[in-house]
Amino acid sequence: MTKPADFPPPFRAADYVAAPSDPPDERIEVGILIVGAGPAGLACAIRLGQLLEDAPEIRDRLGEVPVAVLEKGKQAGSHLLSGAVVNPRALRRLFKGRKRIDEMPFYGPVENESVYFLTKQNALRIPAPPTMKNDGNYVASLSRLGRWLAEQAEEAGAMLLPETAAEKLLVSDGRARGVRTGDKGRGRDGEPLANFEPGSDLVAKVTVLAEGTQGHLTGVALDRFGLAGESPQVWALGVKEVWKIKRPLDRVIHTMGWPLRPGAKYREFGGSFIYPLGEDMLTLGMVVGLDYRDVELSVHDLLQELKTHPLVRGLLDGGERVEWGAKTIPEGGFLALPKQLHAPGLLICGDGAGLVNVPALKGIHYAIESGSLAAEAAFAALQRGQTPATPGALSVYDEALKRSFVWKDLYEVRNMRPAFGRGFWLGGALAGAMTATKGRFPRRDLELERDVDVELIRTDRAMDFPAPDGKLTFDKLSSVFASGNKTRDDQPNHIVIRRDVPQDIAQLWERLCPAQVYEATEKGVDVTPSNCVQCGAITAKGGRLTPPEGGSGPEYTLT
Amino acid sequence: MSMLVFLEHHGDELLKGSLGVLSKAVALGSADVAGVVMGFGVRPLAEQAAKCGAVKVYVADDARLEAPLPQPRVDVLARLIREKGIETVLFGNSVLAADVAAGLAARLEAGLNWDLADLVRQDDRFVGKRPALQDSVHVDVGWKSEPRIALFRSGSFDPVETGGSADTEDVTVALEDFSTSARMVDQAHEEGEGPSIEDAAVIVAGGRGLGGPENFTLVEELAKALGGAVGATRAVVDAGWYPYSTQVGQTGKTVSPKLYIACGISGAIQHKVGMQSSGVIVAINKDPNAPIFEFSDLGVVGDVHEVVPKLTELVKARKGS
Repeated sequence: MTKPADFPPPFRAADYVAAPSDPPDERIEVGILIVGAGPAGLACAIRLGQLLEDAPEIRDRLGEVPVAVLEKGKQAGSHLLSGAVVNPRALRRLFKGRKRIDEMPFYGPVENESVYFLTKQNALRIPAPPTMKNDGNYVASLSRLGRWLAEQAEEAGAMLLPETAAEKLLVSDGRARGVRTGDKGRGRDGEPLANFEPGSDLVAKVTVLAEGTQGHLTGVALDRFGLAGESPQVWALGVKEVWKIKRPLDRVIHTMGWPLRPGAKYREFGGSFIYPLGEDMLTLGMVVGLDYRDVELSVHDLLQELKTHPLVRGLLDGGERVEWGAKTIPEGGFLALPKQLHAPGLLICGDGAGLVNVPALKGIHYAIESGSLAAEAAFAALQRGQTPATPGALSVYDEALKRSFVWKDLYEVRNMRPAFGRGFWLGGALAGAMTATKGRFPRRDLELERDVDVELIRTDRAMDFPAPDGKLTFDKLSSVFASGNKTRDDQPNHIVIRRDVPQDIAQLWERLCPAQVYEATEKGVDVTPSNCVQCGAITAKGGRLTPPEGGSGPEYTLT
Repeated sequence: MSMLVFLEHHGDELLKGSLGVLSKAVALGSADVAGVVMGFGVRPLAEQAAKCGAVKVYVADDARLEAPLPQPRVDVLARLIREKGIETVLFGNSVLAADVAAGLAARLEAGLNWDLADLVRQDDRFVGKRPALQDSVHVDVGWKSEPRIALFRSGSFDPVETGGSADTEDVTVALEDFSTSARMVDQAHEEGEGPSIEDAAVIVAGGRGLGGPENFTLVEELAKALGGAVGATRAVVDAGWYPYSTQVGQTGKTVSPKLYIACGISGAIQHKVGMQSSGVIVAINKDPNAPIFEFSDLGVVGDVHEVVPKLTELVKARKGS
């Protein structure tokens, strides 16, 4: 059968690189420009605020707006989604002497945890794999944590610019100069409407890309500056819901096995998580590697199916779904990291860089740590009186990251994700050996294969997905509604894909997308871009997501 | 407890939405509910407000208020509220009303609760009901200070004619310099046959079940026979079958006609939230499992291509006789 790589999207990274084009007096000048108000970007802004507090002469050099944070969502947190159980290590360092953990918006420490191997009817409790132990970690809604971090960043003097998409990377003389923001108020065919507002050039001494998973300009920058590593990045798709519940959940739960199939030929790697959000809510989600093969697989529907399991159904009994969302996770880990995370005038942090530890199901603390280190590197360059756009001026960032716990953690588990490309059982056995040897086994690193290069198969998997009943199980459209997405329908399409694809590809996309953006038709595929919740799955599986008009997309609050 | 309702007009008529808010204010039992009309040549409109129970109508009649611009209205309202010691100011949502309410809140440093679906009096306090979490719950909101400003979701209340008369009082129009620096360049009206979708008592809406754009004539004919307007779902607007201005739903218009006939519409929640407050909902769909049947008052399981033309004929015959 075919594979998505045979139908590449008509996307050229070079189209999203430009020199500043606004007349000099119309450019918006900021000191340090951070793209993305997530944990990495906001940690960077907070750390910069702390450093500049004691260095007024450097702050003055950065101009009227020393630190600005661009955010494409309606507000900070609108596009943030994670499990999440957070390792507080990086937050402790960032807020040392300023804020205690109990002042942060967590839902409490992890007190009990269970891991289950599921079959269709039964749940077998198994010991938690060592990488998955959560002693000392805290449960959070990343969206809520993001809103809090944004308040801290503003208090630290950063200017937040929500509803603003970073569309092009500004480069001149081989140095990053900032970004061009996206136009607003264009119609379906790109024609300016009554409320048209063109984008602007935002120029900065340092541009920090903290865009999260599938970062648009991160991808463009890796291409423009030749930073991509040897191994390709791979992704997983997570779909999650937040429920109001009758009886509190007293532990965090992870499951493996059903509804995924263990056979190596399916390549279905993933599992579920169920976390308590205080006394009266819980969040549950399903995460599946996008190297899966079956055209009929749908992560959204797998989550719906998971809820029909006796173990899960019992937890939700009498409850009500209040929110839904989806997001991809970069899963390549150490092997897939770019070979360098800086370029002249540019730094890359967090999920955009791929700093995620899949076996531990963690990445937020790496995002925060890398954002803090990026701030320190930018500050150090300014302190030395260097122009940060000078080649090499920001290399201390890579050096600091390599000395940090981030690097050590990721190195030890580097081969686990590719091992699971060989099926659940063999993958599990190999992962065990890797843990026991702290990553010295295997001697030669495994290889990652791009998600788009995986040959497709077709089963009749979709027949088993439960019909939505509107109470326990839901269709995709009502789920998009529950994401808070009310994107204007007459925007230009922001999803770059080929339309004239064969049925297998069209149906793959239709099932893949949790938000019902794609519909297979006789001629190929139809697209409803306003449903999009910008999860990024399409980029992993043969298309290319670009940022839509700022302020579009989901408005998550509890995810 | 003095209440003031912002009365917006188009041409010679006060908007149904404004009058609905006025009726709500009267129903709350305040003895002195006043309305305010602003514009040029608007004095005769006061009578319409009196019919809905206003005991006093302030009239700001001035050429500088002719264009529907917010800032001059904020000037007039701010002065009026201060002079008369008005405690509560109510708006029915519209583009203009939202601008004026926001500007007024900033000018008076007053609290504004927006997107309210209802207002109730509890003891001596006012409590607003604001839909939240995709309209699944109502949040109680209040005000810490006076004046209280409230902006209601459009279509929240129907006007109730109680008859009666009102005193009219002319209001001085004194504008701030900064309020006169915007001017209206142009105002365009979309030409359409029949009533507009927001005001229509009857809406006949078509969805993908129609099969193709040419079949919208079925919907149009039924709408014409009933004297109603035509609505459409996002799917058909997306497909280019019908104009965006007719789209009903989350990202289109919110409507509440007396009668809503859904032809070939499955009833996704995005559509439902735009029409669920309609009086009587009739659904025609050949799929008996379509979600629309869960919230329609009358469901017809059948092919729209057969049912709708017959219905049109029957309506015509009934009206003709």
